[in-house]
Amino acid sequence: MTKTLQSLKQFIYSNRARWLVDQSFFAIFLLATLLSSSFIFIVVGVIFQRGITPFVTDNFGLGPVNLWSFLTGDIYLTGSTFYSSQYEIGYLIVSTLFNAVLALLIAFPVGVATALFIAKIAPKWLANILRTVVEILSSIPSIVFGLFGAVLILDQVYLFTESLGFQSRAGLSVLSTVLLLAMMIIPTITAISEVAIRSVDQSIEQGALALGATTTQKNFKVVLSSAKSGIFSSAILGVGRALGEATAVSLVSGSRFSGYSFNIFDTTATLTSKMLEGMKETQGVDYSIRFSIGLVLMVVILLTNFGLNFIKRSIGRVEV
Amino acid sequence: MLKFNRRHWQRFKDGVLQFFTFTLSSVTLVTLSAIVIFVFQTGAPLLNLDLFNYDYTSNTYISEPILVNGEVELCNCAPTRLLDEGVNYSEKWGVGLSDDEDVLGKPVVIIDYIHQNSPLVTLKNKGFGPETFRLLDEFYIRRIAFFDQPSALDIFGSQFMIDMLDANDTFRELEVITKGGGIRGSVITTLWLILLTLIMALPIGIAAAIYLNEYVSKNSVIARYLRQFIELLTGVPSIIYGLMGLAFFAPFIANITEATGPSILSGAMTLAVIVLPLIIRTTEESLKVVPNEYRQAAFALGASKTQTVFKTIIPSALPGILSATLLSIGRIVGESAALIFAIGVIIKDEISIFGQSTSLAVHIYAMMTDEPANIELSATISLIILAIVLFLNIFIKLLTRRMINKRLPGGMI
Repeated sequence: MTKTLQSLKQFIYSNRARWLVDQSFFAIFLLATLLSSSFIFIVVGVIFQRGITPFVTDNFGLGPVNLWSFLTGDIYLTGSTFYSSQYEIGYLIVSTLFNAVLALLIAFPVGVATALFIAKIAPKWLANILRTVVEILSSIPSIVFGLFGAVLILDQVYLFTESLGFQSRAGLSVLSTVLLLAMMIIPTITAISEVAIRSVDQSIEQGALALGATTTQKNFKVVLSSAKSGIFSSAILGVGRALGEATAVSLVSGSRFSGYSFNIFDTTATLTSKMLEGMKETQGVDYSIRFSIGLVLMVVILLTNFGLNFIKRSIGRVEV
Repeated sequence: MLKFNRRHWQRFKDGVLQFFTFTLSSVTLVTLSAIVIFVFQTGAPLLNLDLFNYDYTSNTYISEPILVNGEVELCNCAPTRLLDEGVNYSEKWGVGLSDDEDVLGKPVVIIDYIHQNSPLVTLKNKGFGPETFRLLDEFYIRRIAFFDQPSALDIFGSQFMIDMLDANDTFRELEVITKGGGIRGSVITTLWLILLTLIMALPIGIAAAIYLNEYVSKNSVIARYLRQFIELLTGVPSIIYGLMGLAFFAPFIANITEATGPSILSGAMTLAVIVLPLIIRTTEESLKVVPNEYRQAAFALGASKTQTVFKTIIPSALPGILSATLLSIGRIVGESAALIFAIGVIIKDEISIFGQSTSLAVHIYAMMTDEPANIELSATISLIILAIVLFLNIFIKLLTRRMINKRLPGGMI
């Protein structure tokens, strides 16, 4: 007995045991890494596999969804109610991009100006306060934004449209959606732009000042254009967040059922808000079509990213 | 003269630009204050500790006392706090009742105080649902039926009910309406989600971070690709994860457990995928700054690779791992879109990890999409979520500052 114990002890302290332990932990760590990096394929695979079913199957007698009209049409009929397979999300793709671009138009100047203010203009104590404010704002969950939008923004927008003589549906409109989205992406833009502005080379700034530029001229003409590439990245991330935002948008958009519309007081809907809307069954075309919309959403985000990155590469070079 | 004018013009332009910068940067401050003030104003009136005690749905229970050796263990105790005017107290039963009106103006008898030793604290449920339930303050008592005597109904008032109770040693039936509008179920669900998600995501995330930082060289092709795949996860919107949870994890869990559809477990798995890149990145950041001397010293002392990792590197990286945990908790508490799909939007009071229920954030969503929307309670829950997020933020900030301060040359962590 003592002998086996002793030999066991000997084995535990032997180099071979250490080697075994090392190898097995190496395997465990490797497995964990492989698992983590495989999830992206699982996500894409699952969405793809479910997403193509409405186009290739008979959908329990409704007939397959036509891919072309799905991508370009503007009438969305829920299958269970209308007994049809006419699911067309062309207007959703357009309005999703429309909302995101408008939100960016508001959020970009605000975000960049705030970043410039924090990084270059504000005294240290004020910069610290503002930086904390931005951090907190970026960590507020979207459902809280949604509640805020659904109560306060909708009210204000309703009053505003009423004063202009429009009758908006309780404020559910592009305007509310855009304002809410802008609020949500300002912190993203600010945080990343600030890092970019901070990392501008000191010598460039000093050179500008030495040439007789005023501080404001230096900030706007030299610092901002040197940080162009980083600032553009912040816009890309902001758009990404705006495109993928779901719960908050679904509370203020008004879930439009059909028709392209570019009137900012009209109701709207995005790909995400459509996906969240009234899910009941766990099979059938009404269920699977959400995966198709999800697939389209991913493609839209990917293409937007590619496009913006392409623009960034062509304008982002700074010659000093 | 011309030169002078141009300088003025320049100063004017500068002033305008400065002004724009000031105004635009105040937007973030205004937005945050607007949100905080709104949530606080709307949500604060409903905020109290009882919220965490009560169920969401108001139930009617018909109950009977729990008998010990065939009789009720009476209390005979004085109240532990001063009771308000108009509260009728029964020493025998240890319960104080008062008269009130419900929202429709009907007279009701409300439990104002209940002693902890009172036989009424835990009652046996005669109907469907749980076998026993707890009687809490603010529940309504509809009627108490006694043996061979008239019942004490709420329309006769609390004084009559107390008199009848005092005159009897036991009762046949007690009908009670529980107070609804609580968030106990959602709080428990959220806690479950945090626990299960971290149990799944932390080991995998930390192990992956260790592999990427300690076992492969940073610039190797494999590490670059693996890291890129993990980074890709951060760009996927959470609603897509929800779909994945619904189509992949929910059937998987339903196959291997008693769950019949989406469940807390499938929700936790979905959340685990969402927080995984966050954990890996944050842990890796903290592993990167562990001085190389630590590794060399450990090897020089004869430690094996595994010993070095577990006894030197992980302890040095603990603050980073902790902040990764806190960041994940913040993400879990705030996540809504993914959970709407991966668990569902049915608000429940009886929580099982194999069943559907809502987290705090989804609870808000469920109430806001309901008709009519319950804005006050939504704001109260938002207030709780905001408080949690704020607390986590401050904690992480302090932690990071501590980490930076401690990492002076030569200092042990």
